[in-house]
Amino acid sequence: MSHGDTIPLHPSSQSDIDEIENLINASVHQSVPSARPPSPPRASIPVSVSAPSPSPFVPSNLPKSSSSAVPPPPPPPTGFGPAPNTLTEPVWDTVKRDLSRIVSNLKLVVFPNPYREDPGKALRDWDLWGPFFFIVFLGLTLSWSASVKKSEVFAVAFALLAAGAVILTLNVLLLGGHIIFFQSLSLLGYCLFPLDVGALICMLKDNVIVKVVVVCVTLAWSSWAAYPFMSSAVNPRRKALALYPVFLMYVSVGFLIIAID
Amino acid sequence: MDPNQPEVENYANPKTCFFHVLFKASALAFYILSALFIDNFVIIFVVTVLLAALDFWVVKNVSGRILVGLRWWNEINDLGESVWKFECLDHESLARMNKKDSWLFWWTLYITAVAWIVLAIFSLIRLQADYLLVVGVCLTLSIANIVGFTKCKKDAKKQIQQFASQTIASRFSSTLQSAFSVV
Repeated sequence: MSHGDTIPLHPSSQSDIDEIENLINASVHQSVPSARPPSPPRASIPVSVSAPSPSPFVPSNLPKSSSSAVPPPPPPPTGFGPAPNTLTEPVWDTVKRDLSRIVSNLKLVVFPNPYREDPGKALRDWDLWGPFFFIVFLGLTLSWSASVKKSEVFAVAFALLAAGAVILTLNVLLLGGHIIFFQSLSLLGYCLFPLDVGALICMLKDNVIVKVVVVCVTLAWSSWAAYPFMSSAVNPRRKALALYPVFLMYVSVGFLIIAID
Repeated sequence: MDPNQPEVENYANPKTCFFHVLFKASALAFYILSALFIDNFVIIFVVTVLLAALDFWVVKNVSGRILVGLRWWNEINDLGESVWKFECLDHESLARMNKKDSWLFWWTLYITAVAWIVLAIFSLIRLQADYLLVVGVCLTLSIANIVGFTKCKKDAKKQIQQFASQTIASRFSSTLQSAFSVV
């Protein structure tokens, strides 16, 4: 509590100020929590406390954004929820949190559990690092395997996979499915991981039979990982319409892995 | 406020400022220089996009909150709806933010996007679809940050105004109350 440095808002009487503070506290308790969407997992925002700032917060007058503090703000009211939170945490904590998120997302895909109660909740904390790395890695292995036109192979693989993920998500949305765009992108990207492994093995081994077996196994693995999420997103009667294109994309990737030479 | 202060004031977080600029500049520099010296599209693509992605992460998660006290992110709530969250420090802390820091933050953000747009126009003119792909990815990342932080800023302003009006209203009503209680 920093009530010690109270600036007299109303110099006439001290009791008025006390009353004001009480009212502020009361109003804060009543109104602020409802003003925010009720999603507790992150620490909440310390809401700005005081007088209106003279500078309009528009992008054009950037340098002014922080220079607005002319009137000394009154002390922050009490009972304002959790104090400074992840906004002021050390950088290392941010790095750790994001890395652990990537690891846990990857685990969900590597060890998929189709009997999970709510498969739609998979990858709720989505990130796009996984898809980015897996798409780039797949492009790299494909372009290394290719003997000619390496650059074109890479560019086409990247564009195909990135556009493919977007189109597949839009497909589900157009089918009337309940899906979140980035969550789905993230999941489809993470599900490339088995195919990445397959592509790596195929690059090292030059036996056609081994290649076919490896690609079939990793293809099944990828589809199996993507299945619960995609099927729970749409109406059961339209499930095949949503899943077939996903399967088709993974098959074409698998075909690319085998065929490229 | 002292009018001379901006000149005297120095960067409060030189390290963060450094990394804020480093990845932007190195992505742009690598893209421009490699077009002259390296003839391998795959290397150009991977390194440039990786640098741009690192820059995106640094701006979104580190320099945004340290230099200007803002952050945005997406979260999926219990109902399975996607919620975009815009976070800012409280007014007092926002006011204490270093002016030079925030100046650097915003201007480099805009200049990078403009630079990528110029490069995109170049590769369009030269009809290089593959290089356009690189520039497109980098441009998307930098514009995403601009949009996110601009929304953050608007949100911060709204919160400040909302709270100010609330404070004034409660002050007014309490004054009325005390007036009545005196009577």
